Amino acid sequence: MDEFQEILQDFLVEAFELVEKLDEDLVELESNPEDLELLNGIFRVAHTVKGASSFLNFDVLTHLTHHMEDVLNRARHGELKITPDVMDVILESVDLMKALLEKIRDTSSDDGIDVAACVARLDKITGGTGEVETPAGSAPVEEEVVEEESAESESDEDEIDYENMDPDEIEAEIERLLAQRQEEDRKKREAKIAAGEKVPVMPDEEPQEETPKEEKSPKKTPPPKATPATTPAPSQTSSTSSADPKAAAPARKTPAAVEQTIRVDVKRLDHLMNLIGELVLAKNRLIKINDDVEERYEGEEFLEELNQVVSIVSLVTTDLQIAVMKTRMLPVGKVFNKFPRMIRDLSRELNKKIELVISGEDTELDKSIVEEIGDPLVHIIRNSCDHGIETPEERLAKGKPETGTITLKAYNEGNQIVIQIDDDGKGLDPEMLKRKSLEKGIISEKEADQMSDKEAYTLIFKPGFSTAAAVTNVSGRGVGMDVVKTNIEKLNGIIDIDSEIGKGTSMKLKIPLTLAIIQALLVGVQEEHYAIPLASVLETVRISKDEIYTVEGKSVMRLRDEVLSLVHIGDIFEVERILDSSDFAYVVVLGLGTSKLGLIVDTLVGQEEIVIKSLGDYLKGIEGIAGATIRGDGGVTLIVDVVALMDMARNVKASASTTDESNSLIKEKTSASDYVIMIVDDSKTDRMIMRKALEPMGVTLVEAGDGQEALNILKSGDYNFDAMLIDIEMPRMDGYSLASEIKKYNRYKNLPLIAVTSRTSKSDRMRGVESGMVEYITKPYSADYLSSVVQRNVNFKAEFL
Amino acid sequence: MSDKLKDIINKQNQQQDSVVEQLDDVVQLVGFIIGEEEYAVPILSIQEIIKPFTWTRVPQVPPYVLGVFNLRGSVIPLIDLRLKFGLSSKKQNEETRFIVMRDGDDVAGFVIDRLTMAIRIKKENIGPAPDTVESEDTIIEGVGKQADKIITILKVNKLLERDF
Repeated sequence: MDEFQEILQDFLVEAFELVEKLDEDLVELESNPEDLELLNGIFRVAHTVKGASSFLNFDVLTHLTHHMEDVLNRARHGELKITPDVMDVILESVDLMKALLEKIRDTSSDDGIDVAACVARLDKITGGTGEVETPAGSAPVEEEVVEEESAESESDEDEIDYENMDPDEIEAEIERLLAQRQEEDRKKREAKIAAGEKVPVMPDEEPQEETPKEEKSPKKTPPPKATPATTPAPSQTSSTSSADPKAAAPARKTPAAVEQTIRVDVKRLDHLMNLIGELVLAKNRLIKINDDVEERYEGEEFLEELNQVVSIVSLVTTDLQIAVMKTRMLPVGKVFNKFPRMIRDLSRELNKKIELVISGEDTELDKSIVEEIGDPLVHIIRNSCDHGIETPEERLAKGKPETGTITLKAYNEGNQIVIQIDDDGKGLDPEMLKRKSLEKGIISEKEADQMSDKEAYTLIFKPGFSTAAAVTNVSGRGVGMDVVKTNIEKLNGIIDIDSEIGKGTSMKLKIPLTLAIIQALLVGVQEEHYAIPLASVLETVRISKDEIYTVEGKSVMRLRDEVLSLVHIGDIFEVERILDSSDFAYVVVLGLGTSKLGLIVDTLVGQEEIVIKSLGDYLKGIEGIAGATIRGDGGVTLIVDVVALMDMARNVKASASTTDESNSLIKEKTSASDYVIMIVDDSKTDRMIMRKALEPMGVTLVEAGDGQEALNILKSGDYNFDAMLIDIEMPRMDGYSLASEIKKYNRYKNLPLIAVTSRTSKSDRMRGVESGMVEYITKPYSADYLSSVVQRNVNFKAEFL
Repeated sequence: MSDKLKDIINKQNQQQDSVVEQLDDVVQLVGFIIGEEEYAVPILSIQEIIKPFTWTRVPQVPPYVLGVFNLRGSVIPLIDLRLKFGLSSKKQNEETRFIVMRDGDDVAGFVIDRLTMAIRIKKENIGPAPDTVESEDTIIEGVGKQADKIITILKVNKLLERDF
């Protein structure tokens, strides 16, 4: 049965590919009924599906495709004219075929879908040619007999001029003859069986249903009277014989254009993509290390070599990443293919004349994205057909061509793919949109007044909004466009609408090329970093705090001629404010779909390529966080979920400019030991000397061996220091760096830092002052001097002495 | 020759059987201290034990979820068991370790105060969790009795279950 499954899988893959093409061809056929090449192509599809399905014992499917084949065959031979009515039936049968294939894919059987009505209609068409009169709904076996006659008469004609046939026809002819021959063999054998002779038949595990089986064998003259035990055998042979040449047919069909492709399991590509992700991370790390090394060993000879290696590695990694990304790319045409058919159906349903122009269907997108954009596009195009394009009368009255045009095009723009849907319909009326939204309570009157036209267009994406006066089959249920917005946003995409009343509407979907590795803007808030997908970043601006206004409890700023609402990233992610916030802030302007938001951050770190990693089951679904990435230094940085962030921003109260001093609560000193002083020196002896000098004061002393340790003690918050004595020459972190690190913290802005060092040069002193030291004591010093400097700096109360 | 071979194979099989038997009634655990208590988890559920390093805070989680850290390319949540067990937080010191536990696809790192040792304990010496804790929700697998002390054995799948 495994082998069967394998064959079944192959069959399904092939069949779906064929069917996809079929839709397109059929619509084209309608406008070009004389195109024999097209007809042949379509006929072959039906034929191939029929052949394979009969081999796999899908009787319903075989039954249906057989009749399709019949109709198409007549059209091919010019016996039948393809009228829109005929087309409707053919399209219906294609739909049924698709449904059957899907059913087979899901359940491995084709039961449960009724094809009788459609088959009857197909039959009527063949009957309409005048050649055969077949009553609708007749028993299948009867139909077969009739068709078989016609087939025979056809083949008689065909046999006359083999020379004039094209290779495909000859092939079909060979197949037919082969089948005929095998059929004859079978009949002989059957006759023998009937005569009671024993024939070596292959064992068959599954007893078949009789009637549909027989239908499929076109030359069956004797009525099915054979015993149940023998019937499976002939059916088996006939199906193998008919399927074999047919299965081979598509391969031989186009020997000239053999595509150099292999099918690869998507899982393998995903794995490959993951590995590339790791490599990109390693590359980022290498670049960072290279930068560090460069700083430390400036001017060294080996640096140049290292530089070269690093740049080659990073170049190759980038290329490799692009190459792997490309393997995952599919042309958008895969999605576009279904639209001609949809437009055709819609225009008939809505009694409008609509033409669809597709361009750029070769533009490629990541597989996962191609799968996601199908639905949104369906909604947008349906919407354009239903609301955009006017009826032919209206159009004529407006002096427009009777036929409306919808243009669907895809193109690359930087790191994004743009899918543009234009229609030349009546366009969006912002006033009408506002009025509607007001009626439905989607917006308030005040909001409506403040709304620009562009904002008004975006109202169509609001849940519960529908501009159709009457709910039609096509749209007007008020869910569609809402889905468009959510789906596109899920892909980190942006929607841009432009419209002019009476001229038409243009919608642009801007979608990133791939999802796994993205460009991100890294921003800093206090000591934390966050990554924002660059696709959602419109611009960044540096503003002074005075430019932030508060309106109804929300922070806003003026950005050129717009008012932009602001939110501090720290308020959203509950960041503790420790560091000093300067008078300036950076605003990252986020754009998503059609809405905008300004995100206030402390610093802009830079742009980096990041690999999206999931936070795992334990932490999934944290609002505002889309995932995490690993940075060059091995640390983890969280990725902002811009969609969620915009939602959250609505509920955050403004505190963008609050920088209260609540952190630096100064307690009243009640005894000498309330004064805490840190001694930072790498030499134990020096620490001891300082300790000895200060101990008589009775203050609390804390020691640290180097700058890093001192910083950690400070950050831990275990002590509230009143002053620090800092040596300059220290391992890990020297005194200058320590001082400048400390001064970054708001609460330590006024902490006196006293340098105690043997460096005496003027430039050293200058550096000390620059890094924020208040006093500069040179070694050696007297204990009294040190003590008095400290006392002065901590405002030591004399009574404690 | 072939008889000899058979003998050897038989012997090996017997040995293996006895090893299997031994494994069957002995549980191997790793013990660690949180606060004053000693706890243990099955050794097979431990992916690795590492020294503490930096992690990244994650917003909107309970205090005992410290954040996430990078374990050779995977982003893994870090949970402070002191806080989870209702103790006050403590500064990490030389003995602090991250135990990375795995149950199926679920992985998380847990901060513990210090490791004790790997313990082999006979199954018969493991008692059920005390009646006072509810059987469904408890994270206690059982109580292991040893010569001089008792150890609380924790359910790894419960530890790795998101409970917020």
